[in-house]
Amino acid sequence: MSAFAVKGTAETPGVPPGGPVKGLPWAVLRLHRAALVVWGALMLAAVGTLVWEVEITADSVRDRIAACGRTGGLCRIQNLTDYSSTIGWASTLVYYSFFAVAAFTAGALIGRELENGTAQLAWTQSVSPTRWLAATLAVPAVLLVAGGTVFVFVFRWAWAANRDLMGDDWTFNDVFAARGPALVAYGLCGLGVGALAGVVLRRSLPALGIACGVMYLINHNLEKYREDLWPAVTPAPGKGVEMSEDVWQIGDGTGRFHPQSHYWPMHLVETGIVLGVAVLATGGAFWVLRRRTG
Amino acid sequence: MTTLLTSTDTSSSASPGVGRGLALSVLRLHRSALWIWLLLVAALAAAMLWAYGPGFEAADTDFRERCRKSVEACHFPGGPAFIRYDTVVSYSTLAVTYLPFLVAAWAGAALIARELETGTAQLAWTQSVSPTRWLAAKLAVPALLITAGSAVLVPLHRLMWNRGAELLGADWYDENTFHANGTVTLAYALCGLALGALAGLVVGRALPALGFAFAALLPVFYLGNEYRVSLWPTVTATDTKIPGLPSEALDLERGVITTEGTRIGNNLACTDSDGPADLKRCMTDAGISDFWTTYHPKSHFWPLQLAETGVVLAVAALAVTAAFVLLRRRTATEGVAV
Repeated sequence: MSAFAVKGTAETPGVPPGGPVKGLPWAVLRLHRAALVVWGALMLAAVGTLVWEVEITADSVRDRIAACGRTGGLCRIQNLTDYSSTIGWASTLVYYSFFAVAAFTAGALIGRELENGTAQLAWTQSVSPTRWLAATLAVPAVLLVAGGTVFVFVFRWAWAANRDLMGDDWTFNDVFAARGPALVAYGLCGLGVGALAGVVLRRSLPALGIACGVMYLINHNLEKYREDLWPAVTPAPGKGVEMSEDVWQIGDGTGRFHPQSHYWPMHLVETGIVLGVAVLATGGAFWVLRRRTG
Repeated sequence: MTTLLTSTDTSSSASPGVGRGLALSVLRLHRSALWIWLLLVAALAAAMLWAYGPGFEAADTDFRERCRKSVEACHFPGGPAFIRYDTVVSYSTLAVTYLPFLVAAWAGAALIARELETGTAQLAWTQSVSPTRWLAAKLAVPALLITAGSAVLVPLHRLMWNRGAELLGADWYDENTFHANGTVTLAYALCGLALGALAGLVVGRALPALGFAFAALLPVFYLGNEYRVSLWPTVTATDTKIPGLPSEALDLERGVITTEGTRIGNNLACTDSDGPADLKRCMTDAGISDFWTTYHPKSHFWPLQLAETGVVLAVAALAVTAAFVLLRRRTATEGVAV
């Protein structure tokens, strides 16, 4: 793909870089058009599914539950699960798509170009290594921010629309991340970590494996220690444990919990950490590339 | 799988020296993958042995200690020793279960596609190796190593799981447990290898082939989890009172039979009755004569395992056949250049 596409990019007179995107960004888009199509299809499918579920399916689920009648029980639960799990799939897939971003960045975006020498070839043209890396990362970053923002708003709307039909709550891993900027931050973190792995290892497959592994470590530990990202509330001694549905009970036996009002502080702390890692990794990638290319 | 074995057999019987050389060259070319595989198997084996021995003992002793002090702790095991043990067990299960995806990704990207992309495969075919024998060696060597690795990991997992199932409150039919405790793991791993090879041949470029191989194994895996229970006949018990299941059975469906003889599935009527008298009254009121329940007893574990193994191996065999047919056709029409 890369070798072929490079032949057909910047230097081909037959395909003039027209439209609003020109020069280097256009070359990046053209080189990775397959990835662009796949990513666009995923985002469209996710957003489309959410809209479809809320606007079309929700009403028919209510009808079917009403039709369950006296037998109730299982029939009702089955219908609810169908609705709830479809929405859960959309958020889960989009949330964990940062693994795909890391794999793509490390493997295809950076690693393969360095491995094949097409990056080095590009640097002998008018593009400096730093500008090459900047453009290679900036284009997907813009797309990730734009697509992620749209998804977060659509998901917030879809998640809040039919609470009575949903079996989840705000503490679920995917729901917690997909209702705010952390979703976008994870995407950018995948991009940064992938870039660093690609620049350091300069081979597509090892870089891909390492980038995914590092993202797993980051994400797994943040999910594990999410409840510690903000001080939890200790219940008043006389009052006993409050058993409200929308609190995040901390399972250490002390009865401490997070009320739902802690969502934003916890979420923003996590977003900050993930963005910090993204910035460090991206900075590291530029630093390594500069040192290598002198 | 069968195709693969016969073709290696014929090739090695024709010229044993070359066959061995080819196998060695496959190992040498993919030596980093070989090392990673050996390390992975060793690390997982070590983790599972730890969980089987000291891990379990520490957790169990701690559990008994806590249980003596408070009744609650007998039902909800906790504490650092238990959590450590639980974590190691669940991660080992997870790793063994999803190994096939690692195999598929590697086979798609590194085994076949990268060779075609860089032209080293085409170069090999101009030497003494025909494309068919090249592919046969590429499949047979990893298949052997995967089988050997699974032969270590699955028995160890069974050992660990059998000892700790009661403490962990684990069920034999949990999706991941079911995978890691039996032959289906090997079947999915070989299927991953076959699908990876096919994706590599079809796509011919390392990274897209990786994606395709991964994506091809996903539906196989998903459908297996979804339709596993249908691969072996279930047992149905019918009784005038609510039938009790044998211990550790996988409960599938419950329902009632009305006095007119109609079976109604997914019906929990009268299950909340309080005592035999209340149950009798509820049954008369609702017009119910019998209850039935459909389940898989624990003894169905191996039949279910073997049936699923067979189905998945059949998918693998199809993919291998397709790969050979595709390679033959391409190299026949275009000469060696693909």
